[in-house]
Amino acid sequence: MKNFLYHKPTTLSEALSLRARYGQSAVLLAGGSDVVIQLREHLIAPEAVIDIKGIAELTGVVWDEHNLWIGAKTTMRELAEHPEVLRAYPFLADAASRVGSKQLRNRATCVGNIVNASPLCDTGTPLYALDAVVVTNAREIPICEFITFVRRTSLAADEIVTGIRVPHQNCKGEFTKISRRSEVDLSTVCATVLQAGDSYRLSFGAVAPTPLRLRETEALLNGKPLTAARIEQAAISARAEVKPISDIRASLEYRLDMVELITRRSLTNLMNGGSEA
Amino acid sequence: MKYQIRFTLNGEEQELYVPANYTMLRVLRDELNFMGTKEGCGAGECGACTVIADGRPVNACIVLAPEMDGMSIETVEGLAKDGRLTPLQEAFVSHAALQCGFCTPGFLMSATALLRENPHPAREEIIRAISGNLCRCTGYVRIIEAIEDAARDNGQ
Ligand code: FES
Ligand code: FES
Repeated sequence: MKNFLYHKPTTLSEALSLRARYGQSAVLLAGGSDVVIQLREHLIAPEAVIDIKGIAELTGVVWDEHNLWIGAKTTMRELAEHPEVLRAYPFLADAASRVGSKQLRNRATCVGNIVNASPLCDTGTPLYALDAVVVTNAREIPICEFITFVRRTSLAADEIVTGIRVPHQNCKGEFTKISRRSEVDLSTVCATVLQAGDSYRLSFGAVAPTPLRLRETEALLNGKPLTAARIEQAAISARAEVKPISDIRASLEYRLDMVELITRRSLTNLMNGGSEA
Repeated sequence: MKYQIRFTLNGEEQELYVPANYTMLRVLRDELNFMGTKEGCGAGECGACTVIADGRPVNACIVLAPEMDGMSIETVEGLAKDGRLTPLQEAFVSHAALQCGFCTPGFLMSATALLRENPHPAREEIIRAISGNLCRCTGYVRIIEAIEDAARDNGQ
């Protein structure tokens, strides 16, 4: 890999002035599971790498009165094993536990997974379904506005994501990851389907340039009891609402079939009272 | 530009000056001549480079050299003490859980970390703990059995 300068600031203000100094020519480093690979493959060639792991203000998981706070230093392992997360949002813990391998989850962070903005990021769909909010040093951005395209976000060159905020909510549902191998593989399709009271939230990954919320399908389901017939309608609707492509992992047709299948299966589990939160 | 790093490697203090674009794997192998840790994919997928850093298994190929500063790192060279293999290593030998041996250091480090955290893991937990380690020649059954065997002897 091409050489670069390495900085490890210890405060957020120090990190922000480095961000301001380098602009687009610096990259932030947390767990490194994406950044180091991009450096190695010459996909990026920054002038500087700013390691955020030394910043005292950045945290891991914090569960307070109103929110689940996923600080920028939260590893996938910490998220997957956090008792409150396991209790309230088991589908989020499940998604975190399905990223890479055990070795990788000890380093990779949830915030990094979102900032990297891959369409198939595993923690994307549960956070989309939870209406999570991305918090930077300067502002709060709903997650579905934060990720704007494949590997593009609305993060400014002088901004740093400090964490992701999930307002407490009562919901149940499940995360599904379809991949060729159960561990250390990228999602062919991933999804989170939730029920909160009588409203429904469906989000899918790897079926469009960004993770997607299926608002039309949700509208079809909201406020009505789940029946087998309505689930069928939703499965067809979900299929029409996504825009997958064919790539090395799967064809467009396969992905459409999986979207239909996951929608049917997850809603059926909810109807049968499964996937309790 | 080189960066000063201090860390412990298998219990011994190390101090080194490294370029930012080296990985931990390269530092271990090329700078320190600790050749036990292998490079397979170099991309966090095969586990051949697994070391235990601050008590947890990580892929040395995706850690930058300057990030090693302050870490406590254990490699396969640190397992045997005074010429005596650990029970896990003995179990790998007696089960013939290796052929070419390229993947073995990585498996040993993943399994060592597992057994410290959970001295009596279920078979499922063993499988999960080593699923980030790939072996191209032995097949996994003997490796799993070796770890089970070492776990059985743990604390008995
Ligand atoms: S060489 Fe590091 S995971 Fe393959
Ligand atoms: S023994 Fe050859 S790769 Fe595992």
